[in-house]
Amino acid sequence: MWSSLIQTSRRDFLKTTSAAVLGALAAGFPRRLDGGDTPKIEPAADRLIILWMAGGMAHTETFDPKRYTPFEKGIKPADVLSTFPSIPTAVDGIRFSAGLENMAKVMDRGTLIRSYTAGDLGFILHSRHQYQWHTGYAPPQTVAAPHLGAVIARTLGPLNPALPAFINIGQRFDVGEGEELKAFTTAGFLGSEYGPFNIPFPEQAARAIQPPEGMTPGRFQNRERFYRRLLARNPVMQHGSEYQRESLLRAVDNAHRLLQSPAAKAFDLSLEPESSLRQYTGGITDLSKISEAKQTRDGTYEKSTVGRFGLGCLLARRLAEAGARFIEVTTEYIPFLNWDTHENGHEKLVHMKQAIDAPIARLILDLEERGLLDRTLVVLASEFSRDSLVEGKPEKKVKDQVDVPDTINDIKHYGMHRHFTDAGCVLLWGGGVKKGYLHGLTAEERPCKTLRDRVVIEDLHATIYYLMGISPQLAYEVEKRPFYVTRDGLGQPIQAIMAKPVRAA
Amino acid sequence: MVWAALSPEQRQQLPPPAAGKVDFTKDIQPILQISCAQCHGRGKDKGGFKIDTREDFLRGGDSGPAARPGDSAGSLVIEMVSGLDPDNIMPKKGKRLTPQQVGLLRAWIDQGMEWPKEITFARQPLHNLHPRRVEPPPPTPRSGAHPVDRWLEDYYAKHGVAPVAVAPDRVWARRVYLDVLGVLPTPEELEAFVADRRSDKRVRLVQRLLQDNHRYAEHWLSFWNDLLRNDYKGTGYIDGGRKQITAWLYSALVTNMPYDRMVRQLLNPPPEAEGFLKGIVWRGAVNSSQTPAMQAAQNVSQVFMGVNLKCASCHDSFINDYTLAGTYALANVFSEEPLEIFECDKPTGRKAGYAFLYPELGTLTPSTNRQERLREVAALMTSERNGRLPRTLVNRLWARFFGRGLVEPVDDMDAPAWHPELLDWLAEDFVAHGYDIKHLMTTIMTSRAYQRPAVAGAEAPEAHYVFRGPLVRRLTAEQFRDVLGEITGVGYTSPQPTVDWLLPEPSELQTQRLQQVTVLQWTNTLETATNRWMSWFVREWVLASPPAEAQAVLAANVEWKLYINGKAVGDTRPAATPVVVDLAPHLRGGLNVLAMRVGKKPEKPPVETNRSVAAWVRLKTEGTVWALDTKREWKLVHAGTNDWGSLPAVEEWQMLSTHATSSEARWLNERQFAAAVHSLERWGRYRAAWVAADSLAVALNRPNREQVCTGRPSQATTLQALELANGKALSALLRQGAEELKARFPHAPETLIRTVYRHALGRAPTAGEWAVIREYFKENKGREGIEDFLWSIAMLPEFQMIY
Repeated sequence: MWSSLIQTSRRDFLKTTSAAVLGALAAGFPRRLDGGDTPKIEPAADRLIILWMAGGMAHTETFDPKRYTPFEKGIKPADVLSTFPSIPTAVDGIRFSAGLENMAKVMDRGTLIRSYTAGDLGFILHSRHQYQWHTGYAPPQTVAAPHLGAVIARTLGPLNPALPAFINIGQRFDVGEGEELKAFTTAGFLGSEYGPFNIPFPEQAARAIQPPEGMTPGRFQNRERFYRRLLARNPVMQHGSEYQRESLLRAVDNAHRLLQSPAAKAFDLSLEPESSLRQYTGGITDLSKISEAKQTRDGTYEKSTVGRFGLGCLLARRLAEAGARFIEVTTEYIPFLNWDTHENGHEKLVHMKQAIDAPIARLILDLEERGLLDRTLVVLASEFSRDSLVEGKPEKKVKDQVDVPDTINDIKHYGMHRHFTDAGCVLLWGGGVKKGYLHGLTAEERPCKTLRDRVVIEDLHATIYYLMGISPQLAYEVEKRPFYVTRDGLGQPIQAIMAKPVRAA
Repeated sequence: MVWAALSPEQRQQLPPPAAGKVDFTKDIQPILQISCAQCHGRGKDKGGFKIDTREDFLRGGDSGPAARPGDSAGSLVIEMVSGLDPDNIMPKKGKRLTPQQVGLLRAWIDQGMEWPKEITFARQPLHNLHPRRVEPPPPTPRSGAHPVDRWLEDYYAKHGVAPVAVAPDRVWARRVYLDVLGVLPTPEELEAFVADRRSDKRVRLVQRLLQDNHRYAEHWLSFWNDLLRNDYKGTGYIDGGRKQITAWLYSALVTNMPYDRMVRQLLNPPPEAEGFLKGIVWRGAVNSSQTPAMQAAQNVSQVFMGVNLKCASCHDSFINDYTLAGTYALANVFSEEPLEIFECDKPTGRKAGYAFLYPELGTLTPSTNRQERLREVAALMTSERNGRLPRTLVNRLWARFFGRGLVEPVDDMDAPAWHPELLDWLAEDFVAHGYDIKHLMTTIMTSRAYQRPAVAGAEAPEAHYVFRGPLVRRLTAEQFRDVLGEITGVGYTSPQPTVDWLLPEPSELQTQRLQQVTVLQWTNTLETATNRWMSWFVREWVLASPPAEAQAVLAANVEWKLYINGKAVGDTRPAATPVVVDLAPHLRGGLNVLAMRVGKKPEKPPVETNRSVAAWVRLKTEGTVWALDTKREWKLVHAGTNDWGSLPAVEEWQMLSTHATSSEARWLNERQFAAAVHSLERWGRYRAAWVAADSLAVALNRPNREQVCTGRPSQATTLQALELANGKALSALLRQGAEELKARFPHAPETLIRTVYRHALGRAPTAGEWAVIREYFKENKGREGIEDFLWSIAMLPEFQMIY
């Protein structure tokens, strides 16, 4: 029966593939459309880390502080630009909002953009704006647009072949608006080989590359051994060669290699020395204390998220050290929680800045100490900013989603609660960006909008891609037409923030 | 005649001709396709110049002949593409040619302009459009009587496809069960089939499987969900911007609704089918190519006619001959008001009329009444003049069963099939039998072609495909889950949608189930002064131990939320819709309290209100299944709180005995409720098609149905393998499965092994496999041993592939 199981055109006998390289698919569909004549871009960075401040991070409360108005009953929202005083940073002329003292110390390692402006899409929605930020395209699209990480995974492949090229930390998939969130965390039409390796809980990351819960490493090895022996005796395997089977075995080999490789240790946070761990977690060293966060509105969620983001940064550092290509760490969008401050903006920002300040600064310093910062591009961004009054842009307002009283009598109305798209902060450190540089200018008085050097998503992506050695005009073929990695191929790298001049493409 | 007008100095600056022999197909055709054909090919001839054929090219246009073979420097085309003459630069649109490309063209011209005759840039004729009656060649001893095989006989001869014995019974039976029902034959079913001596047993098996209406519908639900973009959760639902068609779809599949009627109901929909045309109404502003009416035009063309209008939704298409105006004319049919045409998202101030995609099939009356337009387009789509409609579905099903369509890609139905007569005949036969989908499936699956041994496929789409039989395929995400579920007895415990599961059942059973529905009702005035606007319906009972299985069907007349033992389970549910809930994770030994919190805070004091619930609970403990219904022992308390913990003391709760008959409770869809009860009584477990995607399904390529999906990638990926190696979903399934198997075969491990093999792989282990397995089980006993054994089977290519 077996010899006639499948028809092949050649009399090949199967050789078990064992030397396959992770992620390397010979055929490479969808087809990459290179100009052919596009000059090769020398990458300034080999790794990319995105620190995603999901939910709309208010610029005047973080990296672009304005006049401070302390809380007092009876003040008007119109008078409130910042609810924190400002602090100096390591760079003259750049001040941050109070609460970011650690990050202030490493401002001299990178560039701050204050003029990022987002699209409005007719109505401010986190799901759509996150989609647009991560894919460069506003949804809906006629095809499933790939995430930035998937483009990099497909174009550059993994750095260390034992690690998935696209790792996504901190994002759960059963919160928020359900499927809408997942719509952008995908490889889209590039194919699921380039999709994210998801680690929703960094403190449990080791599990992602360990045997399934409840299975000892010994048993796992045993299972693998049994499987190989059974495979070797399997009659179907003896006859003919067939690509589906080969790709399955190759995938199984690759997965097994990942699970066994020394690089897998990078996932295990318990291997990090306590003194270092502490710097990322605000002092908590017992990881089991950072429990699975429950979605509540009483602050307990934020507290456990605080630790979670910091751990995500630590995990990102360990993975970068081990040679991961693309890592995203998110503070996670949960409706009305984290950065999505529809009320209690001031109080919540105290928590949020606490959540990010020490870990991010430590991440930058750790990378620098290990000699990795120069070749790692770290980008902090959010889908849009916030303001106490303006929804959208001053000249182009969109529907209000938050009630704002005329006077503030309760601290819950004190803060930036509406969605503002006419300014925004992006920080970039390392890989090819200028050090201690400020790009863009915003107004000192309301509306605190961009006045100079506006940055839009396709140019930000073009900059990131360029620094990674990818042309902003690169396209992939889908349904017989080109799909560009920056919107319609229009992205232009932002020369002003780059340490070396951009060569004309 | 105007020859090239470059000066001698300018000619010096021309890029030199490329070295070596130029290959037209590889070097020249792409340049002409990308840089010239848009204006000078495919029916266009700007400047009077066509590049359809070599003769057209040489003839040139208004400016004279385009080229002089042998003299590239003196050829007009080279002058223009070189860019040296600022008044004459080509192409006018798009990127200029690079010096390398100019060099290739020069070399080509100097070498005599070789041009294979079959290559043309002319407008392609449309294939597969008009119906065509064809008669199959007469039967031969080799082909047999089946028309499909008779058609293929010549093809085989022409392409050197040798005759081959059909796939053996065990292999073929496994294939056909998976293809028709998405499950494996049980060991008993398989042995019975193998032992059957009748010469027509294969035909009989196909027919018998197709009559298993419920399992057929469950399996094909996923195919149609992908195609019609139907899902249970996802973008658009949060604010009513999307609507499911699941109930309609299940009914259509269970009753084998003729395809043309399905299409008419999707295009001119009753309420339960309108979700398809509605598409996804996104919040906020969308690109003008993605408004609901444009989505409808794209989806209707792709799904029913197999063509891609997405390119032509922003501009005239570069890859086919569809125009922007044409797409808008179709979209206008579905739109409330005629749409303004936007080109590349910019308004043009123009509007298109109303037109069907292929005017040769018929015209539409420009009616301002949308209902009339939908009726007309539905009639046009399913008219006997439309030979594309049946061919598109025939092709999709052929691709399902054979791994590759007669036309490939399946959404390029304007292109010719590799066997046009076969496609045409299958389509006509399909129509002649009333668009009966099961008849079509029977026709295909009873052919010898479908019985041929599976063919090893190629990783990349090959240029010169030759049909030799079905390609080796892979289990879909749902099949993988379902077959493992069948082998172990583990399935999902609650479905996402509720549909009419009673439909395939005999009427006595339907009546019986309807009688199982009882409703608890309470009517009175609620006092908002005391703030008691929530009604809590509570049922308590004692269990000796946590139940093995526990599910409930619940519904209430206003929005409600479920609490078990004080904990909220799931979100707030909408009014009236019966919901199947898995209770087991929340129940314990001892006292259990189930509460339905019914109501929501009113805007102003209600004068009178009624609160009503229907509840039916099924528990399985110590092997016994028993049911709790709404007939007795429910209590009611009112409170103004969402919080279980702050309810009034138990003494204040009143025993509730006011029952309504289900017909008095007009809010309840008792048929739906009874159907849900039936699904629990009859199966208790649900197949993968009924639940929303989990990480295992996504890893195995179940698509996000924001876009139409006409084919899933089947190749394995590393992330998939990781998910299979240690993902929670598969581990949980295997653990539970191992426990079930252990309970079934407590003292007979070899029987267990043999049964798993026979079910999963359709055969007994070989001697070599037995040796490995016995050695393994010596050391690895108990549930864990079985678990890991199951995993290894699940990871065998023999298991995951469909041969």
